Amino acid sequence: MPRVNTGQIISGAAHAAVIGWVMLGGVFRSDPPQVEVVEAVAVSSEEYAAIMARQSAPEAVADVDTPEPPAEGEAAPALSSGADAAPEARPPEARDTPPPDSVPEVPARPAPAPADVADEAPALSVPAEDMAALVPETSLRPQPRPAPRVAPEPVAPSEPDVRVDDVARPEVAPEDGAEVAGEEQEATAPEEAATEIVTEAERPETPAPAASVRPRARPARAAETETAAAPAEPPVPDTDRDAVSDALAAALSDESVPAARRASGPPLSAGEKDALRVAVQQCWNVGSLSSEALATTVVVAVEMAETGRPDTASIRMLRHSGGSAQAARQAFEAARRAIIRCGADGYELPQEKYAQWRDIEMTFNPEKMRIK
Amino acid sequence: MRFFLTLLAACALWAMPATAQQDGGPLRLEITEGVIEPMPFAVPDLVAESAQADDFASRIARVVATDLSGTGLFREIPAQAHIGRITSFDSPVEFADWRAINAQALVTGAVSLDGAGRLVVKFRIHDVFAGQELGRGQQLVGEQDGWRRIAHKVADQVYSRITGEGGYFDSRVVFVSESGPKDRRAKRLAIMDYDGANLRYLTDDSTIVLAPRFSPTGDRVLYTSYETGFPRIYLLDVADVGRRVLPTMDGTMSFAPRFSPDGRTVLYSLTQGGNTDLYTMDIASGRSTRLTSAPSIETAPSYSPDGSRIVFESDRSGSPQLYIMEARGGEARRISFGQGRYGTPVWSPRGDLVAFTKQSKGRFHIGVMRTDGSEERLLTASFLDEGPTWAPNGRVIMFTRETQGERGEARLYTVDITGRNLRQVPTDGGASDPSWGPLQE
Repeated sequence: MPRVNTGQIISGAAHAAVIGWVMLGGVFRSDPPQVEVVEAVAVSSEEYAAIMARQSAPEAVADVDTPEPPAEGEAAPALSSGADAAPEARPPEARDTPPPDSVPEVPARPAPAPADVADEAPALSVPAEDMAALVPETSLRPQPRPAPRVAPEPVAPSEPDVRVDDVARPEVAPEDGAEVAGEEQEATAPEEAATEIVTEAERPETPAPAASVRPRARPARAAETETAAAPAEPPVPDTDRDAVSDALAAALSDESVPAARRASGPPLSAGEKDALRVAVQQCWNVGSLSSEALATTVVVAVEMAETGRPDTASIRMLRHSGGSAQAARQAFEAARRAIIRCGADGYELPQEKYAQWRDIEMTFNPEKMRIK
Repeated sequence: MRFFLTLLAACALWAMPATAQQDGGPLRLEITEGVIEPMPFAVPDLVAESAQADDFASRIARVVATDLSGTGLFREIPAQAHIGRITSFDSPVEFADWRAINAQALVTGAVSLDGAGRLVVKFRIHDVFAGQELGRGQQLVGEQDGWRRIAHKVADQVYSRITGEGGYFDSRVVFVSESGPKDRRAKRLAIMDYDGANLRYLTDDSTIVLAPRFSPTGDRVLYTSYETGFPRIYLLDVADVGRRVLPTMDGTMSFAPRFSPDGRTVLYSLTQGGNTDLYTMDIASGRSTRLTSAPSIETAPSYSPDGSRIVFESDRSGSPQLYIMEARGGEARRISFGQGRYGTPVWSPRGDLVAFTKQSKGRFHIGVMRTDGSEERLLTASFLDEGPTWAPNGRVIMFTRETQGERGEARLYTVDITGRNLRQVPTDGGASDPSWGPLQE
């Protein structure tokens, strides 16, 4: 039989005591939380009203002097003020002749002209649809102004005292008190222009719509996407043989250019060509041309000086198409005026590329200018 | 072979730009957009080559300038702005002086009197910027009291040389002159220059007259008169104002006459038994031929310039519309399909357009369309515009515009076929029913 160690006995007893304390001492037992308890008293509505009346009532003021009632037989107090005197009425002074009423000055106005009254009653139009107003469904396009000049770009009317010129320049004038006066310059502006001709019949009485448009209902989703019809192929003219001969003639015509006059160096850029084209078309006035001349295309050759000015004597018509010889002559003269007028001060062309623009062929095609 | 040529052309076209860029071809540009504006011009006073002609030097220049400015295609630079002076007809022109004021065209001239006391006018037209004469100088001779006609002829030449179109300044207009209140308006035939000058009355105001029409040569006038109580067609000689009634059947009404291009035939409307149809009458024999026989109203006929076709107004479709048929009659083809009523069609002297009156949405318009009815273009709009007539060059239309109300009055207006340059023709009092005659010989 094994021997029991004293230490073991003490340890076992101590563990048994601890376990017993844990189990029986309530180490893992939690106390229930304390609940605040408020005492409630049932109050009737009458009692609640009485309580509220007491809370809202003003506090009573103590110690208020109360006047004593007068004793019997006491004399009434004497009045300190006297009797009110009647106001003295001053009669108005009578005059023999009343002054005449002044008449306000009224500026004389011309009698209105009798208005023209139509004998017929205006006809009432019945709207065909249940719409709030029969107005365009889209906003009106801005109507071109009826200006005497028609140009590719519209130009607003300038100030009345501004001189019309091809180029807009601000006015330069000496300031008062300035010691050194700058070079004076008259203000200029391009002439007023519209982009198309507007007849009296096409001119609207007012460009603003009379009423707004009722918003339209959202369209239903299309069942299937519509496919635009393919454009018909343009008919192919049977002009192969003409095209061949034209192309060959044009190609061969370059052979006639002397070697000394052939251009060399870098070509003009597209922007430089456009600038020259715009400069010429600003002076190409077809307003006085006949209908036939407006259907005639002319090709004009011009030799340019290094200053950018056209050599007037060199301007010649190379060929024309679409009209008679007389119509071509009118069209050529208009083209010649355009080249000379707008080149009077020299076209803005790059000097270093002079060899490229010394000889110019301009095709004046008035197709877009017939009726605008 | 065809394929080979096409290939060769393609190669040539492909190589061409390179040639132009690299081997020295000219720079090529295409100008497609320009401006439309009146051309500035100058007409200094003519040089008076004799003291007696001094009085005409300025007056002729003023009429020329007014004619050209009135077209809307030209803009006169006033004499106050002139820098250069023309002191001799044969001296060279200092073009720089005229370029400086931006005159693009210059008209110089001289006037003198010949041994018979007739006016002799010489003139030249110059392209200022090109620094050269346009065409050759010309000379006109006429009586002194015809100085306005000489001026108109100069203006016609200038207009024609610059625009390429025929002029219309030396022409006359016959019309109905109106006077008096609206309910008792007196009407009589009158004739004047295109610009309102030289007014002369052809009839008195004892009877109502309507719709005068010039003959192609301008020496006769057809018109409708109520002299007998019924409308009848009369033929009047402009020179001696002699007139005669054209023979038509008794109990009928004849009206809306118009000459054929050869001046031998009258095209007119005749109402019989409540129906109106078109007829032609040979003026020499007085024999009439019926062209239409529809139950509808056919009226306002007008010949094409070559006399092969007729445009007229008919309500056979339910409302007045325009139709074209062969000059001998037959099937008519409708050409107007727009909204509204169309009437009084007149064929252009050029043959390409028909001018008409249109009533739509309570307003009246003068418009033009091509002879197939396409490209309809309304030129005017007002309370009442009607009765267009063409200028001899087919570029300008004259018509009647009447204002609204008790004091409304009829006046004559002109408008360019582009719809620009709407102008009132100066007349002494009311005027209606114009008929523009041909250029005078």
